[in-house]
Amino acid sequence: MTFDYGGYAGKTLRVDLSKGKILKETQSKPRVEKYLGGRGADAKILFDELEPNINPLNSDNILCISTGPITGLLGPTTGRINVATKSPLTEIYGNSNAGSDWGSELKYAGYDNIIIKGKAPKPVYLCIDDEHVELKDAAHLWREGIFEATLALQEEQRGYDTKVAAIGPAAENGVLFCSIIFNLWDSAGRTGTGTVMASKNLKAITVSGSGELKVADPDRYLEIVRDGWLGILNDPGFLTGEHQALGTPICVNWGNAQGWLPTRNFRETTFEGADSISGEEFRDKYSTRSSPIPGGRACMSCPNRCKRFGRIESGKYAGTRGAIEFEGIAAFGSKCGVSDLEAVFHAYTLANDYGMDCVSCGNAIATFMELVEEGILEDVDKLGLKFGNADAMVEMVHRIANKQDKLGSLGALGAYKAALKIGKNAVDYTTSIKGMDTIACDPRVAKGFGLTYAISSRGSDHLRTHVVFEMIRMPPEIGKELFGSEKACDLMSYDGKVRMVLWHENLAAITDSIGSCRFMHGSYYAQYPVPELLGKLHNKKEVNSIKYHDWISAATGMKIDYKKLLDIGHRIVNIERALNTRFGIRRKDDMLPKKFSEPIKKGPRKGQSFPKEQLEKMLDEYYTNRGWDLKTGLIKKSELIKLDMKEVLDDLDKENLVK
Amino acid sequence: MGKLIFNYERCTGCRACELACSFHKEGVFAPSKSRIKIVRIDEEGLDIPIGCEQCDNAPCITACPTRALSRNTETNAIVLSPDFCIGCKQCMVVCPFGAIHFNENRKIFYKCDLCDGSPECIKWCVTGGIEYYEEIEEFPKRKSADRIQHFLLNLPKSTRPIDTGGGKKE
Repeated sequence: MTFDYGGYAGKTLRVDLSKGKILKETQSKPRVEKYLGGRGADAKILFDELEPNINPLNSDNILCISTGPITGLLGPTTGRINVATKSPLTEIYGNSNAGSDWGSELKYAGYDNIIIKGKAPKPVYLCIDDEHVELKDAAHLWREGIFEATLALQEEQRGYDTKVAAIGPAAENGVLFCSIIFNLWDSAGRTGTGTVMASKNLKAITVSGSGELKVADPDRYLEIVRDGWLGILNDPGFLTGEHQALGTPICVNWGNAQGWLPTRNFRETTFEGADSISGEEFRDKYSTRSSPIPGGRACMSCPNRCKRFGRIESGKYAGTRGAIEFEGIAAFGSKCGVSDLEAVFHAYTLANDYGMDCVSCGNAIATFMELVEEGILEDVDKLGLKFGNADAMVEMVHRIANKQDKLGSLGALGAYKAALKIGKNAVDYTTSIKGMDTIACDPRVAKGFGLTYAISSRGSDHLRTHVVFEMIRMPPEIGKELFGSEKACDLMSYDGKVRMVLWHENLAAITDSIGSCRFMHGSYYAQYPVPELLGKLHNKKEVNSIKYHDWISAATGMKIDYKKLLDIGHRIVNIERALNTRFGIRRKDDMLPKKFSEPIKKGPRKGQSFPKEQLEKMLDEYYTNRGWDLKTGLIKKSELIKLDMKEVLDDLDKENLVK
Repeated sequence: MGKLIFNYERCTGCRACELACSFHKEGVFAPSKSRIKIVRIDEEGLDIPIGCEQCDNAPCITACPTRALSRNTETNAIVLSPDFCIGCKQCMVVCPFGAIHFNENRKIFYKCDLCDGSPECIKWCVTGGIEYYEEIEEFPKRKSADRIQHFLLNLPKSTRPIDTGGGKKE
């Protein structure tokens, strides 16, 4: 083993595009000890190496792509890949996470992470084939969509054995919320990572690896992994089979029934057309495979298979095909008031092929629709922009990707920056926090999600915690035991929600940093200690669960217990906060937009809101637990010392950014 | 007399079998050292498991000039004796399924031997993409024929010729 710890491939790939130089470094031992890898390590690299006050599209910006120590090691859901940079959309810390088997392949090729700097003089792609790493000409691929570019690169390399991460024409045009798309359908969607990649003239990264990965304690590792697989397969949520049958699109009908499905740009929280854009509808009409898993496709070693693959055979949008997911359906569907699933599916695959983030794209269109209806924005391009107009929605996707005409160029800025440019009170109609627009769950109904949006380090985002705990029917005893309140299991209650968010946030930080997926500890609750508590409640003798601490220990050889695991999560949240304080994030930025403090006007959840005073109260509790200054939101010196982050403290102290 | 059955329409492409195989046989996680392979055809949303079909009239056995390949009568597996193998790659060339893998670094062939009658891959396959039948009588013969026919007839027009690209290098 070349590296001291098992599980890791052991090398970092450093690419300087300006000089065309590629360096292979040994993985940094102190960094992985403190931050594990993935999201944590990326944040540390950015903290150490990124000049904070640059324009994100400047060649000095850094693009980090990282796997974690258990990526590609047979554990359930270990195919995730993390991307981090300074976001052009929010101009703060930007980061996004994608699935597929690209990350594992990178590790089989021998690299844990890639750090990309500079800007290539002409379009290139990075070709990684085990130890052969080179920059190749990509002039023939520039302006090609994701689909064509990916297929062409596979042809050039090793066919289906080559995994491709590519950017699309929208990113090349400078649309601010572009994604990096892995293997055609898995996208590191949010915060505009693709736009940064395009600004570096880097069209794609192809990987094929034939190497091997070793773990520190193979026998114990296999046992733990088996326990983890059984934990997820025996999870009550998993056993219902609903999620397996429909994938994430199950959330359309689920959200509609619970009354948190954003409709018409968050005006309402139930959608009358939900049935016609639901997961069931997609399965019945467009899935390419029959039972038992209609259209389900999995990332590396994943039993959950949340992606749905489908195809439209006839009609106006015949030939549309692709893998679909809930957030995109909601963004182009209910948020725009469109109940035509074919149009939604088509817009989704279009955005995918252009290389845009479906959520931000759909949100921009929905915001424009509302602004036009309210008379704040003029429909200058005569598209007929209003809620429910599917044709206008599809047309807007084209226009935004190509920055065509006035509305297209406005939309390319993302909902928030566009609203600022429109002026008047347009910003009041957006749902942006720290410059990023909100995903498909209304925080006026789901209170834990509300707090998550406010504190999330990359701007409005649910994945920083994924507190699905409040949405599924968890026994109240578990809420009491874990978060100190039986009401934590109640969607609309504020009790126990701060502790719930803290636990989820720490674990989510770990998940992203080791290369596993959110579904393991939020959504399904296979992560220790929830199955144990459930087992105790139901007098079950044998319980299987995922124990991240044992899992990481057996894979790497580090000694990590449950408490230390949560501490590492806490540290990762703090390094991100440290980075964000440099970008100017303070307490005032941890907020909810005006729209969410106003009551819902219609539907079964009528009258619900997330009052500002309530949020401030929760923030106080959250800040105290995180060790942040209540007034400014800066991290306290004592907390950084406690977390063994002396070097971070020294740097921040010089800039006067600690309390 | 065992056989693995590969059900492409049940496979979700999670590649757990590849990792289980390489870990069981070689003690490392490395799809390149796996006896089974999942071809992920992303553009069609298809995942096709490819492994040894343990053919009755096996072209690989016929083609092997040194008799390095032989049948284990107990498990029905065609097994490779590395001692006799001269590395001529004839078996790779004639295998209609592309189920014999060659590792360039270690100059070694990988060939499924059904793990002596208890295949590791099926223990990790949660969807039934790979199934193991111990007795030939149990084989769902007609079912597999139907399946292949269904697959061939329903190939989308846009599909490229299926090219696993394995080992292709310029």
